[in-house]
Amino acid sequence: MTQEISIQKNTFTMHPSGGMLWHEKRMLLIADVHLGKVSHFRKHGSAVPLRAVAANFDQLTRVADYYQAQSICFLGDLFHSSLNTEWKLFEKWVQSRDETLILIAGNHDIISPVKYDNLNIDIYSEFQSNGFLLTHHPEERKGFFNFCGHIHPGIRLGGIGRQVLKLSCFFKTENQLILPAFGTFTGNYYLEPQSGDQVFAITKNEVIPIQ
Amino acid sequence: MTHKQLHKLATNWFKDQGWKPFAFQEETWNAFLEGKNGLLNAPTGSGKTYALWVAFVLDYIKNNPDYKTKHKPGLKAIWITPLRALSVEIAQAAQRFADGLDTQLTVGIRTGDTPQAERAKQKKKMPDLLVTTPESLQLLLTSKGYDKVFKNTTAIVIDEWHELLGSKRGVQVELGLSRLKTIAPQLRIWGVSATIGNLNQAREVLLGPESQAFKNSALIKANLGKTYKVESIIPETMEKFPWRGHMGLHLLEEVVPIINNSKTTLLFTNTRAQCELWFQKLMHKHPEFAGEMAMHHGSINKETRLWVEEAIRNESLKAVICTSSLDLGVDFAPVESIIQIGGPKGVARFLQRAGRSGHQPGKESVIYFLPTHAIELIEASALGKAAINQVVEDRIPYLLSFDVLIQYLTTLAVSDGFYPAEIYQEVKQTFCFQAMSDEQWRWILNFITKGSQSLQAYDEYKKIEIEEDGKFKVNSRSVAMRHRLQIGTIVGDAALQVKYLKGGYIGTVEEWFISKLKPGDVFTFAGRNLELYRIKGMQVLVKKAKTKKQARVVSWMGGRLTLSAQMSELLREELYSANLPLEEQTRELQALKDIFERQRVESIVPTDDQFLIETFKSREGYHHIFYPFEGRFVHEALGSLLAYRISLLSPITFSIAFNDYGFEILSDQQIDMQQVLDNDLFTSAYLFEDLQKSLNSTEMARRKFRDIAVISGMVFTGFPGKIIKNKHLQSNSQLLFEVFRDYEPENLLFQQAYRETFEHQLEEGRLRIALERIEQQEIVVKNCKKATPFSFPIITDRLREKLSSEKLEDRIKNMLKYLDKY
Repeated sequence: MTQEISIQKNTFTMHPSGGMLWHEKRMLLIADVHLGKVSHFRKHGSAVPLRAVAANFDQLTRVADYYQAQSICFLGDLFHSSLNTEWKLFEKWVQSRDETLILIAGNHDIISPVKYDNLNIDIYSEFQSNGFLLTHHPEERKGFFNFCGHIHPGIRLGGIGRQVLKLSCFFKTENQLILPAFGTFTGNYYLEPQSGDQVFAITKNEVIPIQ
Repeated sequence: MTHKQLHKLATNWFKDQGWKPFAFQEETWNAFLEGKNGLLNAPTGSGKTYALWVAFVLDYIKNNPDYKTKHKPGLKAIWITPLRALSVEIAQAAQRFADGLDTQLTVGIRTGDTPQAERAKQKKKMPDLLVTTPESLQLLLTSKGYDKVFKNTTAIVIDEWHELLGSKRGVQVELGLSRLKTIAPQLRIWGVSATIGNLNQAREVLLGPESQAFKNSALIKANLGKTYKVESIIPETMEKFPWRGHMGLHLLEEVVPIINNSKTTLLFTNTRAQCELWFQKLMHKHPEFAGEMAMHHGSINKETRLWVEEAIRNESLKAVICTSSLDLGVDFAPVESIIQIGGPKGVARFLQRAGRSGHQPGKESVIYFLPTHAIELIEASALGKAAINQVVEDRIPYLLSFDVLIQYLTTLAVSDGFYPAEIYQEVKQTFCFQAMSDEQWRWILNFITKGSQSLQAYDEYKKIEIEEDGKFKVNSRSVAMRHRLQIGTIVGDAALQVKYLKGGYIGTVEEWFISKLKPGDVFTFAGRNLELYRIKGMQVLVKKAKTKKQARVVSWMGGRLTLSAQMSELLREELYSANLPLEEQTRELQALKDIFERQRVESIVPTDDQFLIETFKSREGYHHIFYPFEGRFVHEALGSLLAYRISLLSPITFSIAFNDYGFEILSDQQIDMQQVLDNDLFTSAYLFEDLQKSLNSTEMARRKFRDIAVISGMVFTGFPGKIIKNKHLQSNSQLLFEVFRDYEPENLLFQQAYRETFEHQLEEGRLRIALERIEQQEIVVKNCKKATPFSFPIITDRLREKLSSEKLEDRIKNMLKYLDKY
C-alpha cells in the first residue's frame, strides 16, 4: 500500500495519508495539516462538522504510530489560523508523542513561536541536510533537492469512456517533491505533469504511481 | 365614499388617459375593497399594475376621506418584484395614478441598487408604497424595530409570483409573509401570476394552506382572448442542417427578411453566450443594422439595459437580441415580431414570449421558431400544437427548504431577536414548512445555536445565542454584518465587473471565464471587442481592442433547461407521427424526411408502443443510447438509475450523457443488453431505494449542496462586486460537501441536497410514470455500426454524470493501461 522511492541515494516511503518517511534520517515529513481550520470556521458561524477535527488527529496518530520515526517534520501550514481551542487538542497530541517535532513555518503559521517553544517544537524557516532542502513554499536552489508543501497538489486522470478521476498526489519533478495536503478540510490544486515528472496518486489505502 | 363613487374616481382618471378599465381590473378593485386577499392571473403588459395599485389607492381614499389635505407618512403598501430592473417602471406607473388623484401618496424604491444615503433616508421616513425585491424585504427584517415600520401596512403585492413560486425566493417570500401577517394585522396579500398549470396551488402557497387569508381570498383571471401562431423557419435544403449544435447561426440569413419587414423584432436566445454570438454575427454580416440593433441580457450593465428598453418603447430600434431578461415586466407595445432561437423547453415560457407581440386584445400573436439543429424541428412542430391548445406547465413549490429557514431565523435574530415558540407557529403555517416535524424544528434550533446537535468540549461555535429569557439573538457584529451581505437565495459563480481602464462600467462576467484569459487576450462582450488589461480584486480592467478579428465570446454557466412533462408528451406524439404517410405529417416533419430515412438505415423511428435502444462501438468505448423522450431531468435520473442497476451486476464504470430526447451510457466495457432485459432493469419497483443509492454514486446532490451551503450561511461568498476581505473564511462548498459526507451525513442540510435532487431535479413522480410507460412498450435493441442521427446530439454532449461500482484503485489501474501520455 505504500510506495518507496530513491532520491540521491536516500530512501523515502510515501504513505496513503500523505505523510512520507525519510529512512536515513528516520524522519516523517508531513505537509499542510491546517489544524484549527474547522474550529476557525465554527467560531465564525459556519458549522463545519466537529468530527473532522478528531479525524485530523486520528490520522496523525495512525501514520506516526506506523513509522515510529525519530522525528516528525511539518512542512508548514500546521495550524490554519490564530489560536483557538484546537491548540489544546494539539498540545495533548504532542504530549502523547515521543518523536522530536519540527515545524518549517508556512504562510498560515501565525501562532507565536513561544507557544511552540513551550511544547519543545523547534521552528525553522527552512531545513538543510545532505543536499536536501526542506521548505514550505516550493523552492529551486542549486545543488539541493527540495521537499515542500503549500501547493496541495492534485492530479486529473482521464480514461476511455470519458472517465475522469481527481486525486491528491505526491508530485515529483527533477529536483523537487511536493507533498499532498495532509488535513481533512483542505482542497487540491490540480497540476499538469510535464514529461519527466513523476506523480503518485493517493487513495484511502494505496499510493499508486501514475506513469 | 361608496364603492360606486370610488370606481367612478378611477374610471374617470382612466378616461383622461384615453383608456378604459378591463373587466379583470374592476373585479380586482372590488375584491380588494371587500377586504379580500387573492391571486390575479394576468399576463405581462396587460395592465396588472393598475389592477392592484388602483385598488389600494381607492381603499386608502375610502378610509381617509380627507386624503387630499391630510397625509400621515409611513409605509402603507409593499410591491415585491423579482427583478430590480422592473421596479422603476412599476414605481412610475404607481406615482402617476397617485398624483392623478391628488392623494399625496409617495412611492419609493428599495433594491440592491438603491444608494446607502437613500436607504438611510427611507429608514427615517418610509414612502407610502415601497417597491422592492424579496431579498430587500428580508433585509428590512434585519433592522431593529422593523415591526414598527410594517405596523400600518395594509397591502402587499407579490408580482410575477409564478417566477418566484418554483424557486427558493418563493420560500423566502412565504416566510416573510408569515411574519408580516402577525405584525401588520390589517394586511391584504395579493399575488400576480402569468398562466401556469397550478394556479390554485399558487394561491395556496402565497396565502398559506388553510389560513384565514386563504379562506378569505379570490382568484381573478384576466381573460384577454389571446391566440397564438407558431411559424417554423425551415431551410430550403436540409443538407447543411446540422445534426447537433445549439447556436443556430446557419439560419442567420433567414431572420433578416423578418427583421426588415417588421417595425421591431425581438430575438430570444436561450443563453447569454448565444445572445452575444448572434449579435456579433448579425452585425458582421449586416453592418447596415448598425445603430438599429441592440443586445439585452442580465449581465449587461443596467444603464444600457434601460436604454435598450426605452429604445424599444419609442420604436428607435429594429431588432433586439435578448435572453429571458426580457421575459418579465416591461410593456413593449411596438414589438411586432418575435423570433425564438432554439427550443424554449417549456410551453408557458414560449407563449409568454409569443405574447410579446400583438399586444392589442384579441390580436393573434405570431412567433417564429428557429431550430438550431435538425431534431429540434420536431420540437417546433410540437410547439405549434401546444400553442393552439395552450397547454401550460405547473411550477413546483419547494418543500422543507431548511437552508432558507436558517437564513430567515438568523435574520430575525440579527434584528430584534425571536422567541422560538412564537415563530414556530408562524413558520408552521407556511406551505413550505407545513409538514415540518418537531424534531426537525429542534434540530434547526440546535444547529443555529450550537452548530451541532450536542455540546462538545473545546467547541467555539458562535452564531445565534440564547439569552436568559429564552430569546434567540445574534450579538456579534461581525456575524450580523456577514449575514446581511449574504442574504439572498440566488447563487451564482462569482461575478466580476468589467470596466474600461479609463472608467465606464460594461457589465459582469463570471470568474471561471475570465480566469482562462491572460492579459492581452481579446474577448467579445456586450457586442464589443475588449482587450484584457488586468484583473484587480473583483474588477476586470479592459481596453478597446484594436483588432477587428473574431475573438472569444464571453459565456456563462447557468443551468440548462429541461423539457416540461407536457412538452415531452407533445414531443413524443410528434415524433411517432413521423411513421405516418408523408402527406399527413406537419411541414416541419416533412422537412426532416431525409434525416428520418438515414435514421432508418441502421435503426428505427420508434412508434408509440416501441422503446428504442441503440448501441455501437467507437474509439471512446461502448455507447448505449436509450430514447424515452422525457426531457433531460428525467433522463438524468433514468440514466443514473439504469447505470446503477447495471453496475450491480458486475464492477463497471460509466459516464452518462443526456438531452431532452434520450440518454447515453458510455463505458469501456460492453453492456449485455439481454442481461439488462432479463433482469428487468426498467422496473418501477424499488425505484425510490435504487434512485437514492444511485445518487450517492453521482454528483447531482453535490451540485445542489452548493446553493444550500451558501443560503444557510455555511459558506461565505462575500457580496457581488465587493472585494472579499474575509479570505480566510472562504471555503468551497465542494470541500464542505466532502467533509459532511465523511463526518456528518445525518446533517439535515446535507440530506436536503439529496431531497432537492429528488423533488426538483429528478422529478420522481414523472420518472415513475415514464418507467410504467416503458414497461408497456416493446423494447427494440439496435446494434449499429456508427452513430445515428438521433444519437448524435447526445453522444457529443460533454456535460456528463459519472457512476462506478469498481474499486477506486482498480479504476486508476485500468485508466493507467490506456494512458499513453499525460
